[in-house]
Formats: sequence, C-alpha cells, structure tokens
Amino acid sequence: MPRERDKDWRDNLYGEIDKYNLVENLENCLQCGKCTGNCPVAAITPSYNPRFVISEILTGNTARLLESEEIWRCFWCANCYRVCPVDIHFPLLMMQLRFMALENNYGLKYVKPINKYGFRAFDKGLTFVPGERGVQKINRLRTSIGVEEWPEVSEKAIAEYRAIFEQTGAIEWMEKLEEMVEKDVNFSLERGGVTNE
Amino acid sequence: MNKPLVISPKERIGEIPEKIFLFRSCTGSMEYPGTESAVKEVLKKLGVEVIMDADQTCCSGYILTCSGFPPEPALAVTARNLALVEQRYGLDTYMFCNGCFGYNTELAHILNHNPEYKKMSNQLISQWGYEYKNETRIIHVQELYYLLIDKIKELVIHPLNGLRVASHYGCHYLSQLYGVLDDGDLPTFHEEIYEALGGVPVFFKERRMCCGASVGRGFTHRESVVQPHLARKLDSAKEEGVELMTTVCPGCNVALDREQKNLMDRGFGPYNIPVIDLAQLIGLCIGVPVEKLGFNANTIPVDDILNRLGFGKGE
Repeated sequence: MPRERDKDWRDNLYGEIDKYNLVENLENCLQCGKCTGNCPVAAITPSYNPRFVISEILTGNTARLLESEEIWRCFWCANCYRVCPVDIHFPLLMMQLRFMALENNYGLKYVKPINKYGFRAFDKGLTFVPGERGVQKINRLRTSIGVEEWPEVSEKAIAEYRAIFEQTGAIEWMEKLEEMVEKDVNFSLERGGVTNE
Repeated sequence: MNKPLVISPKERIGEIPEKIFLFRSCTGSMEYPGTESAVKEVLKKLGVEVIMDADQTCCSGYILTCSGFPPEPALAVTARNLALVEQRYGLDTYMFCNGCFGYNTELAHILNHNPEYKKMSNQLISQWGYEYKNETRIIHVQELYYLLIDKIKELVIHPLNGLRVASHYGCHYLSQLYGVLDDGDLPTFHEEIYEALGGVPVFFKERRMCCGASVGRGFTHRESVVQPHLARKLDSAKEEGVELMTTVCPGCNVALDREQKNLMDRGFGPYNIPVIDLAQLIGLCIGVPVEKLGFNANTIPVDDILNRLGFGKGE
C-alpha cells in the first residue's frame, strides 16, 4: 500500500469541492453520526460512512477521498440530510465530490454507462429513453390504455432543451467524459479501514 | 431551522384548486404509462382540471445526480419549465414523481437563493421569452389526494375489502425536511388513504428504506449494494404479509417491481409483491376503468389482486 504524502492533503479541499457554493455550512458539522446511522448504504457496507467523508473533507485528505470507491456507493436518498441537526446538505456535497473525482479521472466507470442516456435525453427531451425495442414496447403499452403512442414532447421543447445543453457546455462536458480514461485506484476503504486491493 | 417540519395539507395547498398544471414524468410516461393516465383520471373524478404542456421537458435531475452533466443545464432547464408554467397558466406545478418533485424543489431552491444562478438561467432562457420569477409552487399530487381524502372516501365504489397494503413513500418527498405533510421517520398519511379505501395498512420494519434507484440501479454497485439492500426491504415486507405495495414515484416503482425478478434470479426471495402507484389504487377503488390504469406494464402481475377485488383480468 502506498504511503500518504503531504501533497495528498490540501488545506482548502472543502472550498475546492464546494465550488458551486451549495453546502455553505459544512464546518458546522457536529460529527454526531446521525447521517451514518440513517444511511441505508452504511447499513450494509460499513466502509461507507458519511460522517467520515465529512471529516476527511474538512481535514483535507484529497487522495483518500477522490480515489475511494466509497463515494460512488451513495444512492442519493437524502435521509442523511433529513436527520442532520445542522441541516448539512450531504447529497449536494456528494454530487460535487463526484464531479471532482471525475475531473481527476476517477469513477468514470460509474458515470460512463449513464452517458448514453444523457445523449438520448439531449435528442428527445426525456430521460431514460430505451433502445428501439424498448420504444416499441412503450408504444404498445401506451396505445393499450388509450393515450398517444409517445409522450407528447414538442419540437420546440426539444430544440430549446438541446440549446440549453449546448449553451451551458453540457454536451462538450459529456463528450469529453466519453474520451477520458479511468485512473487506477491505489486503495479502497473496504471493511471500515484502508486496505490494499 | 426556523420553519415547521410537518404541516397540514390545508396549510400546504390552501383551498382545493380547480385547475393544476401536471408535470410530465419521463419514467411515469414511458415505463408505467398507466401512472400518468391514472393520475389524470383520478383528478378528473375528484373535480380537478389537469393541464399538461408538450413544451415541458424532462426535469433533468436524475442525470445530474448520476454526475452525467454539470449543474448548469439542470438549473436552466428547471428555470425554463417553471417559467413556462408561470407565464402560460399562472398555476401551481404538481408532480406525480418524487424524483421530479425533489429535483425541481431542490434546483428551484438553489435558483432562488443564489442570485447569480438565477441570473445565469434567466439570461439563457430569455432568448425564448421566459423568465423564472418563483411564482409557481411545487407540490406533489399525493398532497392533493390527502387534502381530498374525504371526497375519495365518498367516491369509493370498489372497496379493498381488507387487502393488506403497504406504502413505499419514497425518499425524495419526505427528505425535503421542511413543509412536508408527514414526519420522515413514521409517516402515516398513505395509510390513512388505504383505510379510506377499505384496505388494511401494513407497517413493516424497513418501510422507510430507500428503493435504491434514486441513483445507481444498474450504474453503481448494483450487485454489492443495491440488490442486497432491496432484498432486505422486500424480505421485511414479505414477513409482514404485504399483499400489495404502492409508490408515489415511478422511479421507486421501477426498482421495487422490476428488480424483484432480478433478485430472484440471484437467489433472493422468492417475492411476489405487486407494486403499483397510489393513483392507480385510488383509481381502481373510485371506478376508473381498469384498462385505463395500465397494469399490463408491471413485471410482477397485478392480476391476482384484481381478481380478488372482482375486476377479472387486468388487461
């Protein structure tokens, strides 16, 4: 297992992660652990621990966080946020943490499979449009209950939706993601501690 | 932290609306088209006029939370959809999917509390003449059913005759923290609706557990986290003798219904718990024709339940 080095730690990691300014009260964290107690993922994977993630962000352990497999286990159910006594919006923190991991070429294997749905959403204005056979099934189901064959999304809606993707740089971002290559992870946090893969 | 956590439907919605704008859910209109149709038919029976608009697009929250694109497009799309409702109809926006509800609420909150994001989004959508002003409220249709529970009770013509029904509330409604209808730990307003319909509410141990689909079904750790987690939930439901489960989110419905078969293929189970939308259940009881409820989209067949309630085959 590689040793941790000084440069793995950053003083301003919290600021770097929260670049969209969505979780301004992270430093209020009491480390009470209600988030972890209410987390369905922590219940079956003890190595995933939201309280620990917050503590690591505040102390600035970059490598341990970004390279960790753990940050990709969260379902985003938001029950941590629901029970937090100081209202820390952990899901929005997790979202930004994942963006930062992606920028560093980690976790791409968990995001690339969703990319094709992103591109289809760009095409149709609907998320999770299936392939051709799936579409035929939807047509049959919808016809059988007496509604239009396909959800009504107008040409205008699709054109504007696409323009938003283009003008905010989302399409560029998605294309770049397709080309990025996953970096090997040195360690994971299996079973509550840092272990060698 | 100075706002009330739980409020009554009357405080939440106010007077019973004559007209609402119904937000199209991608999953609700594709995976389970019966859900969308059921919501519309039920509201029609309850005397609420429903308006939908083909110019509305996907809420774009799901792909954002799967890190499929950065927040900017999702913020602009939210501003556009909500501005469209404000400008064309001046109505409140009702969601029938916890996903759409949660993402729109969250993204609208970000827009309204970060002037730069609102400015960015409004600048972008101004090219088509939209401006988001935060005038439309984002409400879930389940809140309207609860407000209209007495009317639903009056309209019941096919009571559930003691059917053991359990609820999956879905996280993205109850996790809103402030101003929702019930407490996130022990919510009971769906159970009150079952009682109004003549059913027996079942409380099982893991009833408040997430469906696992909010992010990740099939994308992140499906085998090691999502499936064992779901099996735990379904085992617990089976133990309590749940005969039917309802959701208020087509996304949760996908996870709970479609995944039962996959779980059994992996050696969990066996399970045979039909999962339908709350609107489909209300529709069934208040006399919406069964063929309009689209139960043929379900993986775990609803036919047995329909037979027991005297509806024949659910086609």
